[in-house]
Amino acid sequence: MSLLEVCNLKVRFQADRRRLRRSSGCVRAVDDVSFAIEPGETLGLVGESGCGKTSLARAVIRLIEPASGSVWFEGEELTRLDAAALRSRRRKFQMIFQDPYTTLDPLMTAGEAIGEALDVHQLCQGEEDRRRQIEVLLSEVGLDPEHARRYPHEFSGGQRQRIGIARALAVRPKLVVCDEPVSALDVSVQAQIINLLRELQRSLGIAYLFITHDLAVVEHISQRILVMYLGRVMEAGEAKLICRSPKHPYTQALLSAVPVLDPDSKRQRIILPGEPPSPIDPPSGCPFHPRCPLAEARCREQTPALREIGAGHQVACHLVAPPPMG
Amino acid sequence: MPLLEIKNLTLDLAFQGATARVVEDVSLQIDSGETVCLVGESGCGKSLTALSIARLVPTPPARYAGGQILVGGQDVLGMSRAELRRLRGRVVSYVFQEPTASLNPVFRVGSQIKESLRLHRPEAATDLEVSRLLKVVGISAPESRMRAYPHELSGGMQQRVMIAMALASQPSLLVADEPTTALDVTVQAQIFDLLRNLKQEFRMSLFLITHNLGVVRDLADRVAVMYAGQIVEHGPADAVLRKPRHPYTKALVNSVPKLGSSEQSLKVIPGQVPRLGAFPQGCRFHPRCGRVRPNCSVETPGLDEAQPNHQVRCPYWIRDAAGFDE
Ligand SMILES: Nc1ncnc2c1ncn2[C@@H]1O[C@H](COP(=O)(O)OP(=O)(O)OP(=O)(O)O)[C@@H](O)[C@H]1O
Ligand SMILES: Nc1ncnc2c1ncn2[C@@H]1O[C@H](COP(=O)(O)OP(=O)(O)OP(=O)(O)O)[C@@H](O)[C@H]1O
Ligand SMILES: [Mg+2]
Ligand SMILES: [Mg+2]
Repeated sequence: MSLLEVCNLKVRFQADRRRLRRSSGCVRAVDDVSFAIEPGETLGLVGESGCGKTSLARAVIRLIEPASGSVWFEGEELTRLDAAALRSRRRKFQMIFQDPYTTLDPLMTAGEAIGEALDVHQLCQGEEDRRRQIEVLLSEVGLDPEHARRYPHEFSGGQRQRIGIARALAVRPKLVVCDEPVSALDVSVQAQIINLLRELQRSLGIAYLFITHDLAVVEHISQRILVMYLGRVMEAGEAKLICRSPKHPYTQALLSAVPVLDPDSKRQRIILPGEPPSPIDPPSGCPFHPRCPLAEARCREQTPALREIGAGHQVACHLVAPPPMG
Repeated sequence: MPLLEIKNLTLDLAFQGATARVVEDVSLQIDSGETVCLVGESGCGKSLTALSIARLVPTPPARYAGGQILVGGQDVLGMSRAELRRLRGRVVSYVFQEPTASLNPVFRVGSQIKESLRLHRPEAATDLEVSRLLKVVGISAPESRMRAYPHELSGGMQQRVMIAMALASQPSLLVADEPTTALDVTVQAQIFDLLRNLKQEFRMSLFLITHNLGVVRDLADRVAVMYAGQIVEHGPADAVLRKPRHPYTKALVNSVPKLGSSEQSLKVIPGQVPRLGAFPQGCRFHPRCGRVRPNCSVETPGLDEAQPNHQVRCPYWIRDAAGFDE
C-alpha cells in the first residue's frame, strides 16, 4: 500500500474581481493531478512559479480544501475526515517552508518552538523527558543543545531552516512536505540542508514531497519526479530517467534552460518564447502549446491525457509516441 | 587602457557603533567587450563592490578607505558631482535583482524609459526610440506595452524594461547585480540570451554578479570569487571552473548539485560564512578549510599569481598545484 495516494485532485481559487469579466472567474491552480508516494520515498515536484506546486502540496495535507478529487493516507481517505479526525492524523504529515523566518515565532526560543510541537500532540512524559527530546531533536538536525535558548534572529538562515526541520520531526511524521526548503539559502548551506534531509530519511524512514524549481536539486534528492505546468502534470517518472532523457517538450526546455557548471557539457539550449500564461485563462488543448516549439493543430484542440510510455514513466503530449505493441 | 580598473578597493562600513571592513583590497579589470563575473555567497561584498564603480554606495555609513577606481582612465573616487552624473548612465548602467524596486509604480514604463533618454540622449527621447529599445529587449507589441504600468507586466517583462532603460544611454559597461535571481529558469535563459546578443551587437562590457556558477560557465570570460570581503581567486572562467585552485572555490564547485551526476551526497563546506565584523584572523576561510595548516590562522595570505592571469589567495594551494600535487 502506498503511504500517500492522490487521485484527480483539483484546486480552484476565486480570481480577483477586476479579472472576472474576461474569464470563468476562477484560477485553476491544480487540475486533475494524481500520484502516489511510497513509505521512505522522495517525490520531487518541479515547475515554474505559479504552476500550482504549493497549492497542490497544501491541498494534499488539507491545509486548503480541494475542489474535487481524493487523497488517501495510509489507506484512509483524508479528504473525507472531519476536523477532529483530521487533527489527530496531522502528526503524521508535516510541512517545512522556504523561509523559516516567517513561520517561526520571533518571541519563542528554538527550544520553545520545538517543545510546542511536542505539546500539541502530547508526546512528552514530564518536563525532564521534554527537555531531553528537544536536545535530541536539536542534535539530530546538527544544532547544539545549548541553541535551545536562542531566538530566531540569533540564527543564520541555514540554522533557522534546521529549527524548522527539527520542529517538523518532533512529532515523528511519516511524510514531510518540503516547500522550497533550500531556495533561499546560499549554496554551501543548501548542500548542508540537503544532506541533512537525506540522512534523516535514511535513519527515520520519512517520505518527502519535495517542492523546488531547481532541477539539479530535485534530481539529486528524489527517486521520482513530477513536472507541472499550469496546474497539470506534464511528465512523471523516475528522477534519473527524466533528467537524462526527458520526453515532454516542456521538460526538455526546462532542463536545457538550467545553467550547468560542467565546462565540457555541450547542450543545445531551447529558448522558449514568452512566459507561462495565466491559469485564469488557460490555453485550449495542451496548456503548453502556445510556447511549444513542436505544437501542431491537434495540440491547440485536444488536451493530451497523461499516458504511460514506459515503466512508471508518464507523459502528457500528443507527439510522444506510445510504446511499441507487444 | 582597460575600460574599468578597480585597484585595491577598500571599503569600511559603520554599523552597530563599530566599523567593519566589508570590502578589502579588491582589484579587478574589465576590458571593452568583456564579460566578468563576480561570485560569492550572500554578504561577501559583491553588491558593494559593484555599486562602487559609479560611487553609488552611500557615504556614510560607508567610507572609501583606500584604492582607486578608474573608468576610462578617470578616477571615480575623485569625481565632482557633475562628472559623476555624466558617468552614471552614460558610461556605466545598472540592472538590479528586483525590478519592482527600481521601477516607479505610478509611471507608465514607456515614460520611464523616455526619462532615461531625456537625461542621457535628449535628442533621442522619442516614442520611436522607446519602442525600438523595447523591441531590442524582446518585448512584443512595444507600442501598446509602453503604455503599461509596471504591475501590469510579469517579472521577466519588468526585468526587460529595466534592461531597456539601462541600454537607453548606450553605456559602455552594464553592471547587472543578480538580474535573474527572482525569475524562472526559462525566463532566465531568455534574459541571458538577450544579454549575450546585446553584448555582441554593441560591444558592451558586462559586469555580472551572481551566486550561480552555472551562469558563470555560460557567460563569463573571467571570474572573480569573493569570500568575506576579499577576492580569493580570479582568472579565466574556464580555468577557474575546470581546475579551481583555492580551497573555497573548490568546495563551492563541489557543493553545487549537478544535473546528471550520480553522486549520492553533496560535499559540504562545514560551518558558516563568517559574520560582518567577525572575520577570522589569518586566512578568512581557514576555520572551514579542509586543508588548513597551523600557519593559516596566523599569516594573512596575499593574492598571488598561480598561473599567468590566474590569482589565488592561498600559498599552499598554489604550491600543491604547481607539482607537489594533491
Ligand atoms: N489564495 C489564492 N487566491 C487566488 N489565487 C491563488 C491563491 N493561491 C495561489 N493562487 C494562484 O494559483 C496559482 C498557483 O499558485 P501556487 O502558489 O500553487 O504556485 P507555485 O507553483 O507554488 O508557485 P511558486 O513557485 O511561485 O511558489 C497561481 O496562479 C497563483 O497566483
Ligand atoms: N547600508 C548598509 N548598512 C549596513 N550593512 C550593510 C549595508 N550595505 C551592506 N551591508 C553589509 O555589508 C556586507 C556586504 O554587503 P553586499 O550587499 O555587498 O553583499 P552581497 O555579496 O551583495 O550579498 P548578497 O548576495 O546577499 O546580495 C553584508 O554583510 C551587508 O549586510
Ligand atoms: Mg510555491
Ligand atoms: Mg548583493
